Amino acid sequence: MKAFTRPELRLAHYLEEEQKLWREMLAGDVTAYEHLINRTYDLLFHYGTKFNSDRELIKDCIQDVFLGIWEKRDALNPDIPPKPYLLASLRRRLHRLASRLRMDCMDYYNESDIVFDLEFGVEYELIESENDRLLASRMTEMLNELPKRQKEAVFLRFYNDMEREEIALVMDIQPQSVSNLLQEAFKFIKSHWKAIVSLFLALPF
Amino acid sequence: MDRYRDFSLGEFVWDKSFRNWVLNPTREDDETWQNWLAANPDKSEMVDRARQLVLSIRPNNASLGNPEKRKAVERIVERLEARNLDRAEDTHAPWYAGSMVRIAAMVVLLAGFSWIFWLRHEQPEIIGYDQLVAAANGEMRETTNTTAQPLTISLEDGSHVTLDPGSKMSYPPHFNGVRREVFLSGKAFFDIAKDPSRPFFVYANELVTKVLGTSFTVRSFANEQEVSVAVKTGKVAVFSREDTDATEKQSSRELTGVVIEPNQQVVFVRKSVKITKSLVPEPEVVAEAGAAPHFEFDEAPVSAVFSALQNAYGIDIIYDRNVMDECPITATLTEMSLYEKLDLICKAVGASYKSIDGRIVVEGKGCRNN
Repeated sequence: MKAFTRPELRLAHYLEEEQKLWREMLAGDVTAYEHLINRTYDLLFHYGTKFNSDRELIKDCIQDVFLGIWEKRDALNPDIPPKPYLLASLRRRLHRLASRLRMDCMDYYNESDIVFDLEFGVEYELIESENDRLLASRMTEMLNELPKRQKEAVFLRFYNDMEREEIALVMDIQPQSVSNLLQEAFKFIKSHWKAIVSLFLALPF
Repeated sequence: MDRYRDFSLGEFVWDKSFRNWVLNPTREDDETWQNWLAANPDKSEMVDRARQLVLSIRPNNASLGNPEKRKAVERIVERLEARNLDRAEDTHAPWYAGSMVRIAAMVVLLAGFSWIFWLRHEQPEIIGYDQLVAAANGEMRETTNTTAQPLTISLEDGSHVTLDPGSKMSYPPHFNGVRREVFLSGKAFFDIAKDPSRPFFVYANELVTKVLGTSFTVRSFANEQEVSVAVKTGKVAVFSREDTDATEKQSSRELTGVVIEPNQQVVFVRKSVKITKSLVPEPEVVAEAGAAPHFEFDEAPVSAVFSALQNAYGIDIIYDRNVMDECPITATLTEMSLYEKLDLICKAVGASYKSIDGRIVVEGKGCRNN
């Protein structure tokens, strides 16, 4: 069972480093602050562009998030995990921005306008067999058909290695709701997976 | 690891430990999985396929290049420093903490506002183009670029100024006396004829740029928070009009003030009255024409690579020669920006770099142990 403890240890180490940067940053260390930004910027940017495709706007929002945490660093908890906290702040900011725009335009909008819009894609040249290429393309279609919130949970869990509690923090929902979202996503994936796989009778499952 | 015996392809694809091994492998993970595969050779084909599926199915992320990211991160830190400066200035004045002082201040403020209301045309808050031109002596000519293209103006001394659209410049038809002086609003590229006996001055809002003969860009729009000067060739000196030694710096035959060289720039943040020196966002090769620099290295010591870059871009690169010289580099760096080149070199020798005060500082542990 060694294999199961080790990756978690590695992850724990990685998270510890992040937490250390967070604590040093809260204590007023600008170098740690810069490290933390460097370390989380790609994730924040990629996550942000799923809500709004305006790159400059996303960059401005990320900037506001970081300047904001510096501003109120005395009031922040040194023990909260930084990555989910940053993602949650960015998410809130984007939502606020969207609702402000909504007021300005005086049009009728609703919550569903501010959605997580993610497409999965396949790099076919990484796959050797023709059958698996077809399989990958079907799998991707299936992922793209997931409801937006399930997609967001899958994105955070399987593509950004986040835990249930962390995802709950980011999406501002109960951990149980995260489990439900992931379970529904997998029920959907599994049922379709069987259908896809049955098309390839030659493949051993 | 026993449970993996009965895993299907799909279960492998969505197993977190498996994905971690594929996407972010560590040596420990790799060892564990290689051992498991050696013990279960019948599973190796499926693991291989699952691996390809995990690697190939990815979210479509908007691409974010390294230079773009670096610029964004630097901008955040710069903003932060500007803010800290503002705050430091605030805390220097603890006398206004008392409530009597505050009430008095309110009264004075109210009186002040009504005063300003009557006199508001008299009190410009920041130094602008109009005030500068009005204060200038002698006859002045003004050219405004109202076209959509850059407009080149030839001056009497053989200098050329290229005005960006929407920019304007005031200059005398004849340069008299010991100085050549022009006033700018907007953005312009200056190519100044060499004449050490008559230094050339560009007045742009709060910044004064002094040169003997060189080419550079000044950006100074009335509605922007920052005024900047970037050098293409030669050297220029920049100082703030508020500078107490400004008159002395102007009359000196030497270039004093903040001296900037090719690929460096000076930014004046109008709100915080602070001058910072940095590198231009996209440094260009400044070496003499005809001698296009080569960036191909075969087992060259890293010091040779840095000195080639230093010569080509005219930017100081600071590093510990004793430590880094042990690191040999084999690379072709021709078709890359300076920052991409530095990224690659630093990656190769396990170092990192920072741009500090218009120079590059490289830090690394060296390669002696490898």
